Amino acid sequence: MTKLVGNKNKIYSLENKAKRFKRDINQWSIITLIIGFIIAIPIATIFFKLFSGPGETWNHIVYTLLPKYVLNTGYLVVGCSILVLLMGVSTAWIVSRYDFPFRKQLEWLLILPLAIPSYITAYSYAGVFDYGGTLELLLRYFSISAIKIDIMNMYGLILILSLSLYPYVYVSARTVFLTQANNLIEASRLLGVGEFKTFFRLLLPLARPAIIGGLILVLMEVLNDYGAAKYYGISTFTTGIFRAWFALEEPETAVYLSAILVTIIFGLILLEKWQRQKIGYHNDIKSANRLLRKQIQSNKKWFLLSLASIPVILGFIIPVMQLLYWVGLTYEEVFSFEFLSIAGQSLGVAILAALLTTIFALGLIYFTKWNKLHFIKNLSKISTLGYAIPGAVIAVGVMIPTLFIDKWLYKVFRSVFEINIGLFINGTIIGLTYAYMVRFLAVAYNPIESSTLKIGDKISESSKILGKGNFITFFKVDLPLIKKGVLSGLLLVFVDVMKELPLTLILKPYTISTLAVKAYEYASDELIAEAALPSLLIICTGILPVIFLNKLITK
Amino acid sequence: MKYLVWISVFFLALSCKTDKKNEATEKAPEVVETKEVNVYTHRHYPSDQELFAQFEKETGIKVNVVNAKADELMQKMTSEGEQSPADVLITVDAGRLVRAKNKGLLQGVTSAVLEKNIPAHLRDSDNAWFSLTKRARVIAYAKDRIKPEMLSTYEDLTSDKWNKKILIRSSSNIYNQSLLASIIAHDGGDKAKSWAEGMVANMARSPKGNDRDQVKAVVAGEGDIAVVNTYYIGKLLNSKNPEEVKAGEGVGIFFPNQETRGTHINVSGAGVAKYAPNKENAIKFIEFLSSKNAQEVFAKANYEYPVNPTVAPSELLASWGTFKEDVLPLAKLGENNKKAVLTFDEAGWQ
Amino acid sequence: MNLLEVTTLSKSFDHGKTMALDQVSFSIKKGKVITIVGESGSAKTTLIRLISGLETPDYGEIYLKETLISSVTTMIPPEKRNIGLVFQDYALFPHMSVADNIGYGIKNKKDKNIRIQEVLNLVGLEGYDKRYPHQLSGGQQQRVALARAIAPKPELLILDEPFSNLDTMLREQLRNEIFEIIKATGITAIFVTHDTEDALAVSDKILVLKQGKLIQKDKAKTLYKKPETAYVASLFGTIIELTPSILKEFDYPLNEKKQYALRAQDIKIEKNTDYTLDACIVKSHFMGEYYQLEMESPKGNHFLIHVNKKAKKQKMSIGFNEKDLMIFENEN
Repeated sequence: MTKLVGNKNKIYSLENKAKRFKRDINQWSIITLIIGFIIAIPIATIFFKLFSGPGETWNHIVYTLLPKYVLNTGYLVVGCSILVLLMGVSTAWIVSRYDFPFRKQLEWLLILPLAIPSYITAYSYAGVFDYGGTLELLLRYFSISAIKIDIMNMYGLILILSLSLYPYVYVSARTVFLTQANNLIEASRLLGVGEFKTFFRLLLPLARPAIIGGLILVLMEVLNDYGAAKYYGISTFTTGIFRAWFALEEPETAVYLSAILVTIIFGLILLEKWQRQKIGYHNDIKSANRLLRKQIQSNKKWFLLSLASIPVILGFIIPVMQLLYWVGLTYEEVFSFEFLSIAGQSLGVAILAALLTTIFALGLIYFTKWNKLHFIKNLSKISTLGYAIPGAVIAVGVMIPTLFIDKWLYKVFRSVFEINIGLFINGTIIGLTYAYMVRFLAVAYNPIESSTLKIGDKISESSKILGKGNFITFFKVDLPLIKKGVLSGLLLVFVDVMKELPLTLILKPYTISTLAVKAYEYASDELIAEAALPSLLIICTGILPVIFLNKLITK
Repeated sequence: MKYLVWISVFFLALSCKTDKKNEATEKAPEVVETKEVNVYTHRHYPSDQELFAQFEKETGIKVNVVNAKADELMQKMTSEGEQSPADVLITVDAGRLVRAKNKGLLQGVTSAVLEKNIPAHLRDSDNAWFSLTKRARVIAYAKDRIKPEMLSTYEDLTSDKWNKKILIRSSSNIYNQSLLASIIAHDGGDKAKSWAEGMVANMARSPKGNDRDQVKAVVAGEGDIAVVNTYYIGKLLNSKNPEEVKAGEGVGIFFPNQETRGTHINVSGAGVAKYAPNKENAIKFIEFLSSKNAQEVFAKANYEYPVNPTVAPSELLASWGTFKEDVLPLAKLGENNKKAVLTFDEAGWQ
Repeated sequence: MNLLEVTTLSKSFDHGKTMALDQVSFSIKKGKVITIVGESGSAKTTLIRLISGLETPDYGEIYLKETLISSVTTMIPPEKRNIGLVFQDYALFPHMSVADNIGYGIKNKKDKNIRIQEVLNLVGLEGYDKRYPHQLSGGQQQRVALARAIAPKPELLILDEPFSNLDTMLREQLRNEIFEIIKATGITAIFVTHDTEDALAVSDKILVLKQGKLIQKDKAKTLYKKPETAYVASLFGTIIELTPSILKEFDYPLNEKKQYALRAQDIKIEKNTDYTLDACIVKSHFMGEYYQLEMESPKGNHFLIHVNKKAKKQKMSIGFNEKDLMIFENEN
């Protein structure tokens, strides 16, 4: 026994540890660390800002505003969770379980609300229920006396946010229902259990991890929302961050508030991780057969069709109709050559950012695999946390360190080459793309990672054993197999960048504008009808990827 | 071993950095004749772009524009420091200009043209910034229910007769902040606080939407009067949406405090950036914007009052009549802005 | 010459708190087939991943043809080792045809197509070169995986649980075929399995792993007949542990410090054995190839025996021979 202990001590002696470290560290370890470092700097900057303490109005905020922020944010979170689950899960179940007319179209129509930024949905609903709004006009046309519905309150906001975000839950629930539910349903029916009970006792628990994963994405978006809440006059954490930063001129206090928000979000993420670990079974169940749809009688058919169409009509068709109406009123003024060029720039920026972000995500995933040091594998995950942090906060986190580098570069270039280069990163496309990368890395990382997990390591290991190095293995074996994941990552980042506003406003170069910025400029000048055309274009660019993603799921 | 090389290269680069810093500070920046001016602006109106183009044509100086909220632009300038490319900062309120000056983002300039074109109370005492256009914060009343005789001052809005009748937007709006800042400057903090509390008590609904929405709510009967900016009434009356025009026509405009200190105004203005690389061009640019020609464009296109006394306001604005304006130095608005925000919070004004 | 030499190889996945692989040493001569046997969790997969270079060892060395390929300081990457590996689930490239799969690792571009045909013939899949993996049956996929692994002519071929995904019928047939192929090519091979029947059938030598430790290495026959521990004995067939009280009933001169066991079929219903006893049948189960009888001795000890025919009587004489008795050092 003593001999063994002695040997064990020898194996794990400091000397051997050092030798192994030297053996295992390779270029990939270093590159992974560098990429992780680059992406983590802004997040770390925010984190370190916390140590400098909040501004002087912190107490004022804690006593007069914080209770309200917490309460409102709480209402929003609870309200949106309930509504989003109701809409997302029920529609997912209806379209995966039953067959009825227009089901196929409905399947992808149900994802479309995701293409509309929630602040735009909020504006268009305000337009619908407004004085002299679309609803009133319609009612007047049919000579019905106008009923005034006030949408601009907490309930309205919950409804709007849920309508534009429920697709996250719908998509994840449907994937589970389609691919994993068939065997369970068959078994359950053989046991003589009814449809209703089967759903609540078996399928809902089966899909729970996926549904909660979708729900957490929804809640992150809810917590990050600024435009809709502000317009509807609801003070939330995020509106508070802007108030502290801009109205009270205390970025430190704003950072403190965002730290609380980020803590809540990380709490949610941990909660999701924990519940996913606790319920590990969902991965093991895989139905060999896809879910078979039930044929149903005609009157029930139409009932299901109308039930499942409600979220599409409310979340997509009505806002788009309202926008179209506005575009009809204003397009002559808004549409111009300059507008086209802005649309082009928007596309260009989004494509560039999507490509780079996807490449970085791929790099992070594969370099981490090629690296042999274990602690680096854990570290690289941290750099995907940017998605949880509000865009405006990321902008600050990017601005501080890049300016530091800029100032240094400026001095180096002036003294060495005698050239004035101005700001090299900040306020240029480099800085903007960098910020997008920090914010959206997770958006590309997650689908790519899940497709690598689906394939497993064995296939690339086979390639290496057959004598091919990392790069050949990557291009000949890995990439063709994770193509779908890469493509969906690319598209998701593209859509997100097209919609992104606060970060773009702060960091964009002068020569460039985007559709979201244009829409914002009109809206902030109270020209909401004029904002409709750029908004509509943002939605159009979002629709194609959404349809494509749906194809990926159903395949 | 190759990693060691990398690491040493990195450290070399670091040490390089510290050396260069010392050298760089010793060198004086060279002055170069430039043909451009970089404008950081919160204004994003077609009329402005027209004016910028005209300026380019007249002087051959290229105008580069960064459009964003004033707060974000100021944050950007602060972070950029000495390397900031900004020459001119344009905001849509006086409070922000004062704030920019206090943060050391602007520099005082001497220009006879500007002093001639712009009245003293619309300029900074050190000439760090200059107003370009004016907007009045007025009371819009439902023509069918309210007689203008019932209205008098901002202070009167807290009286019981307006209980549940007032519509006004959220306190995060700068024009509300400026209005309260002016009340703080005139009446003191305590009175301002009770005013804010009185307003909250008289609100017809919790604050939401923008100024246009307040006017529409008056017409819809949610309340009787709204505190709004003349600029947005102009926009409303010229909307492409006939329903909005109808809403604009349903309200009358009342200029409060005519018997006392005058109606609260806010301005949009410009200042020369502290580290402006093209200072001369920046001054030329602001001088151009205050000129008669440019002021006429502002007046016509944007439903704003020109600051140049030789230029008349647009027909629409003239139709509302002339009014006595509050000549409180605009710097006071900036000084009291933060106090105003805190007061709003304490009064529970969302 | 030893083709592969492994010395004190160790690996832990939690910084030494629990040893996944604990100082394992062995060697393989060129052209031999050895089998690594162990239950799940015995680290047999870890061991072959270390040999093929997919994992880095915490300690110990691996030599291939007397060249150091893994140690605390050296790590030759898998692509430079010239070792073939057939994964348990084959890990065929799903987006490549059979021919592309097999040709993937062949270095000599000129003779590539010839070599592909050669190995296809060898595994009996002529004409399948244009198919894709998902169009093949499990057994065919297995053969492609083997063909792909041997196509680049590796020094050493490792097969990780190659038959565990196949049904029993196919398994035996394929096992024999594949080992004929291996013998025919003269390749050195390591075969990993938890199924001892596979191990006994094909290998020159067997290594038994238990919780990361190498507990016995021997020829198949030796392992079966003379296992060093009761654990090894039980891996290769049902054993009946003989407690001191039973042995006393048999009048066996036992040593209290030793442990005794018999293979289930070595207890015979005969009087002419070295040690006998009269016992009653408590229960009888039909098990297909044999009957399992639960017996009770006069003093109330229960034990199981396997017999070929259904027992006719309730009470009978049973016994065993001295030569069949397995004696181990007491593990406690």
